[in-house]
Amino acid sequence: MDKIFRDKKAIAIFIAPGILLFTLILLVPICQAVYYSLCDWNALTKPNFIGLGNYIKLFTNDDTMLTALKNSLFFMVFSAVTQQILGLLLAALLTNIKKGRNFFKNVYYLPNVLSSAALGLLWSFLFNPRMGINQVLALFNVEGPLWLMDTKGFIILPMWVIAFVAMWQYTGSTMMLYMAQITGISNSLYEASYIDGASKWQSFLHITLPLIKPMVATTLSLNCIGSLKFFDLVYNMTQGGPNHRSDVLATHLYNEGFQYFKYGYASAIGIVLLILCLIVTFLVNRFVKVEDYEM
Amino acid sequence: MKKMKIRPLTVLIYIMLSLIVVVYLAPLLWMLSVSFKTNAEVFASPFGLPEVFQWDNYYVAWTAGKLGIATLNSVLVCGITLIASMLIGSMAAFAIGRMRWKLANPTLTYFMIGMMIPVHCVLIPLFVRFSKLGMTNNLLALILPYVTFSLPMTIYIMVGFFKGMPGELFEAACIDGCSIYRCFFNIALPLAKTGLFVTGLMTFVNNWNELLLAMVFISEVSKKTLPVTLTYFVGPYSTNYVQMFAAIVIAVAPTILVYCCFSNQIVEGLTAGAVKG
Repeated sequence: MDKIFRDKKAIAIFIAPGILLFTLILLVPICQAVYYSLCDWNALTKPNFIGLGNYIKLFTNDDTMLTALKNSLFFMVFSAVTQQILGLLLAALLTNIKKGRNFFKNVYYLPNVLSSAALGLLWSFLFNPRMGINQVLALFNVEGPLWLMDTKGFIILPMWVIAFVAMWQYTGSTMMLYMAQITGISNSLYEASYIDGASKWQSFLHITLPLIKPMVATTLSLNCIGSLKFFDLVYNMTQGGPNHRSDVLATHLYNEGFQYFKYGYASAIGIVLLILCLIVTFLVNRFVKVEDYEM
Repeated sequence: MKKMKIRPLTVLIYIMLSLIVVVYLAPLLWMLSVSFKTNAEVFASPFGLPEVFQWDNYYVAWTAGKLGIATLNSVLVCGITLIASMLIGSMAAFAIGRMRWKLANPTLTYFMIGMMIPVHCVLIPLFVRFSKLGMTNNLLALILPYVTFSLPMTIYIMVGFFKGMPGELFEAACIDGCSIYRCFFNIALPLAKTGLFVTGLMTFVNNWNELLLAMVFISEVSKKTLPVTLTYFVGPYSTNYVQMFAAIVIAVAPTILVYCCFSNQIVEGLTAGAVKG
């Protein structure tokens, strides 16, 4: 019996397709991307090794890259903060009610399963000056701004709008994860605290919050990585415009790689994105300490 | 003890939650209502209900926007990805979770790395490779990366399922002379049906909505998937708002339908996939 489960041939057969795909589609291309990012290369020429030239150009001689980096980081911070707060708040509220919990939960999660491309188009119409939100504002004699065209400020208005839409779309998933964690907490803990005279707020502060800590690390890294990788909404709402002011890393990569066919340069952007993701994952896991409690 | 609720507070909570529901549903309902209007109506009364339901919008969007072929492509890509990733994923998961070998854990880690890697950084190398192989008008160029990027979650969830199965079951089967392959196909897989279903739903939803790869890897118009075709609608049809809205409705309808039927399983998949091991 033991021998059957140690059967090397069977293990190899089971594992081979997955390993093969993973290596060919993921590992080898990543290594190639690292090499390409060190090359001067476009669609017409052959890769020409130039060392760190692309990276130097990225950070010293590319205004769009700096804008994209700024926007992506803004996006990450905004998403992380709003989704953590709203997601936890909604989860706390929902676990406190009985009637209609499933209905509310399902509605809040709904946009997560819908195509960002489609939702981006929908919201770009809602923020279109000639229809949508500005028409509602006009009823109150308020002239709405050009939501997706405005270029004033350090973080321009379109970025706030897109960040809002992203929050609208993805807060549900953070909420779901928190809800799963909260409903996993044993009821006897709460009952004991009520007997000791704790209020609902106190038991939330001293029981719920410490016990959902492991989920904070998970959701936080999901929020951060998800928003760094962000592409669909930006592409469909502003296409990076006006004048590349609302570009994020992913749209910048897309433009450089597939509009201007600068393969080497675009690979460098991809590697920067990868490194950012790894740093964020590392930081979150390092600083959001996970202590295991008996539940 | 639990009935010690203060009534006004509960009412306040319900009011808040309902307001948020409005924020969530209003845009979607607005989209639905606009998709039945005429272009003139959109500007005359953007928020009123359509006077006459213009079913024609859907017909035009479907034919002029080539949504039919796009939907077919999406179904093909998602369907094949679904089956392939579930099969390959659960095979690997079975070997990792159930079989005894030294490298089981490192192999799992190797697959889990895939969860952290953004698809963007393999975009260029894969694109170059696929165009050299002449695959840019072949749906396989999408299916391969989709399967690969669906594997980490599938494997992660399925390993949990296989590990949770009672060992006696497999022992008994082996004593009765069952081969390892039959153990997997006839015992483990049927028992892990819920897990398969949950991961399958997640895979379907993620890949149905994927835009970036689909945009880059497929150059032939007749091979494009639904989200890409939708994106092209902005250009040539930009004055024909109502048909665009009809197209958006067509694009989101399948996932809404799937979600309505299986929301619990989708949520289960989300939580099972996110909890760290």
